[in-house]
Amino acid sequence: MTGGVAMGGCMDLGAVAPEMVLAGTALALVPAAGWARGRWRRLPAALALLALLAAMGLTVPMLTATPREAFCGTYAVDPFRAFYQLVIEAGAVVSLLSLASHFRASEQEPHHPVALLMATVGGMGLAAATDLGLIVLFLQMVSFPSYLLVLLVRSDGPAQEATLKYFLYGAAALAVMAYGLTFLFGLTGSLNLRAIGAGLAGADRAWVALAFGLVVVGYGFEMTLVPFHVWAPDVFQGGTAPISGFVSVVPKAAAFAGLLRLLLEAMPGALAAWPSVLALMAAATMTFGNLVALRQASLKRLLAYSSIAQAGYMLMAVAVAGRVPQALPAIGYYVVAYLLMNLAAFTVVAQVERMSGSDGLATVRGLGRRAPWSAAALTLALLSLAGVPPLAGFAGKVFLLLAAIDGDLAWLAVLAAANMAVALSYYVAVIAEMYFREPERPEGMAPGVGYAFALGLCSAATLAFGIAPSVLRGVAQLGATLLR
Amino acid sequence: MLTVTIFLPLLTGLAVLALPRGRPDLVRRAALAGAALTLAAAVILWAGFDPAVGGLQWRLTLPWIPSVGASYDVGVGGLSLALILLTAVLLTVVMAYVFPEHDRAHAHAFLFLLLATGLIGLFAAQDLLLFYLFFEVGLVPMYFIVGIWGGERRRYAALKFFLYTRAGSLAMLLGFLALYLAMEPHSFSLPAIVQARPLDGAPLTGGLVFLALLLGFGVKLPVVPLHNWLPDAHVEAPTEGSVVLAGLQLKMGGYGMLAVLLPALPETVARFGWVLVAVALVSLLYGALAALAQSDMKRLVAYTSVNHMGFVTLGVAVAALSGDEGVRRLALNGAAVQMVSHGFLTGGMFLLVGMLQHRAGTRDLDRFGGLIGSMPVFSGLFGLLAFGSLGLPGLSGFIAEFQAVGAALQLSAWVAGLAVLALVVTTAVYLRLVTGLLMGRAPADAPALPPLTAGEVWSAAALAALSVAVGILPATLVALLDGTTAALAHLP
Repeated sequence: MTGGVAMGGCMDLGAVAPEMVLAGTALALVPAAGWARGRWRRLPAALALLALLAAMGLTVPMLTATPREAFCGTYAVDPFRAFYQLVIEAGAVVSLLSLASHFRASEQEPHHPVALLMATVGGMGLAAATDLGLIVLFLQMVSFPSYLLVLLVRSDGPAQEATLKYFLYGAAALAVMAYGLTFLFGLTGSLNLRAIGAGLAGADRAWVALAFGLVVVGYGFEMTLVPFHVWAPDVFQGGTAPISGFVSVVPKAAAFAGLLRLLLEAMPGALAAWPSVLALMAAATMTFGNLVALRQASLKRLLAYSSIAQAGYMLMAVAVAGRVPQALPAIGYYVVAYLLMNLAAFTVVAQVERMSGSDGLATVRGLGRRAPWSAAALTLALLSLAGVPPLAGFAGKVFLLLAAIDGDLAWLAVLAAANMAVALSYYVAVIAEMYFREPERPEGMAPGVGYAFALGLCSAATLAFGIAPSVLRGVAQLGATLLR
Repeated sequence: MLTVTIFLPLLTGLAVLALPRGRPDLVRRAALAGAALTLAAAVILWAGFDPAVGGLQWRLTLPWIPSVGASYDVGVGGLSLALILLTAVLLTVVMAYVFPEHDRAHAHAFLFLLLATGLIGLFAAQDLLLFYLFFEVGLVPMYFIVGIWGGERRRYAALKFFLYTRAGSLAMLLGFLALYLAMEPHSFSLPAIVQARPLDGAPLTGGLVFLALLLGFGVKLPVVPLHNWLPDAHVEAPTEGSVVLAGLQLKMGGYGMLAVLLPALPETVARFGWVLVAVALVSLLYGALAALAQSDMKRLVAYTSVNHMGFVTLGVAVAALSGDEGVRRLALNGAAVQMVSHGFLTGGMFLLVGMLQHRAGTRDLDRFGGLIGSMPVFSGLFGLLAFGSLGLPGLSGFIAEFQAVGAALQLSAWVAGLAVLALVVTTAVYLRLVTGLLMGRAPADAPALPPLTAGEVWSAAALAALSVAVGILPATLVALLDGTTAALAHLP
């Protein structure tokens, strides 16, 4: 431990400036949201957007920071943290844009930014925390506002059921995980990840394995890994589409960052089996997600299973993160690609849902004629999820596959490729519905500047990062440096 | 200039999208202009290409993804250049062929032009990741073309097409990644991989990579038993889609075999040479026999493509097995000429069948007869292309098949004998087609057939003329291709 004695010496408010901006705005918005009437209802979302952009501006410089600890060894300041925090902030920005259009002139309009900002702060904290206590705290902090967000459409029966399910699963998984973390403390006498890493070197393997297994339950819940994914389809379907998009991106990115930090700081060499366990989970997650997605008629459920499968692809590189230097930038690149394509897809589903009140596959029938721009954006997102070049999802999948083959998991890479081939059929089922059938309803799409911005940003970035992956890859390379 | 040629169609396509709605005539003219410019650019490439020099010309290398050693690396050899010219010619013909009543003209033109960029880029790519990228860009638009403008079962055919080719291309991608990781230092550069042959002497990895690439290229070529998507896609695709599908997209597989599979894994391909021979013979015979059983003319022509592409596989197999440089060169020349020739001939056949279908509303061979009296120009062109396809001397098909069979004879009389048997069946197929359609008398319920328009005549005549030109004066084409095939045939 880097001595917690000199309290004054380890206070470093600069290290949490982005988090403070967001948390401060969120707290200020609580009363503001209650008072907002009429046109003023738009104000909270606008302020939240400004706060997020300011936070991004404060996060960027940390991309080149020399790794150090703040707050007496409990909080990391390193490029890894900055990268994942930027991803989380960007995910929040895009979600906020589409939510602002989605809840336009509704009762929920002033309230959603509060919960969204709180969840964002939780996710950001999880990416930076190097202390077991803080990890538990931030995991709760990313989860609870997410429950609230799902519940935001209060009149809606499925939303209530989804929230209950989300809450019960979340509470159980996080409790199990906290239990596992206590074992780590018990084995090493420390809450600090790096001190645990040093202490575990001589520890009993069986206990380490047990602790690791319990911890994976919690992260597996947030990352929707099989078999801890069962909540996801119901929650994604029950929540309103832009919120499902947010829940599918921000907690997941945060959990990937948290798990990677835990594995690389606290587990290096402590448990020889973790790559194999994670590889098996990756295989199960991608295969299960894709096979079940084949049979979905609801767009939100389909995207839910697709996002489970996508987590499986990413986990493939997590499994080799300890021995392949290219794995971390590969995951970083893919998290961004995933964010862009998944949020674009959920935004179009949101437009469709708002217009027709349903998210069945038939609602996008003939969308190519009814709303050419939205249809094109959804097509781009789906093809990118399927890994078709020259889109970001393709380059990302190449990086992940390369990492896996390089890490002697060629079998997993072959399985992943087979999965991508299978997955294509449910992605193109949606595309075929949009373009190969004539529309049955004449209506267009729910309009909205927020939707348009969200889609434009995601589509442009999906194309740009796919055609010229080296820029994002370079940033992800920067973000591969973490405190060890 | 090469880069200009690659991206000219795409830029035209984007410009077309910006044209005002409700002006399909304008869209068509702009698309045709883009195609013609592409052809002009390709001809400039040809004019600046010196076949005597050998190696890659018009080379341009720019960093693309430096962190994984992938670069934007394009250049052309003789084979690439010939296929780029073929692409530009067929693109122009397809854009000139007045497409009947298609709605969504903007999207139609954009997809074809995007696809052309993919194809030209593929034939020029000297980096495997770039090759893969262009491979998919050349394929995905066809999914939309079949699905939007196709026939009755278009959704089924489009899905089948996409799933087959995607499964193949993902296998290919894994093969490329394995080749990349086998290189020290890691590299996607095709010339470097051909130079180093990283998997010679690695029987297991080499075999797996061979299998992966064979799947990728074999689906596209296609070889039996990976051909199942082809009849459906060709039949359901709109006419201009079938022309591009048969005339150009099948060449992606053949080009991959010649330019990537054979030079990157020479030892492994030789080890599995007899497997390839068997695959080639099965494709040759199956394609011919299946074609014989069809009465739907599009289906019939589609199956003859399986047969024709069998000669490409045969050429590659013979070249891999033979130790004699002359034989290898002959076999590869046969394969290469076959690809170009098939582009003209089968592209033209699909065009003509499409014109007939557009008039009559049916492609059933039994509904027609005696066209030589009612549609003399059509019949002349049709007969010419059919005789070219069956390998009549004086037309391009003969040059190709003669060389491929001749090389096979040096390897084994049995192989050559079976190939000739397939040729005999193909002859029967085309004779049946020609006699059924052009000779005899029309059935009582034969549909009325207005004569061809000038645009239709010119588009089909251009392809027929090119086939005749190659047949009478093969030297120009062979000289172009020989630079590539000689380098491939050269034994270390």
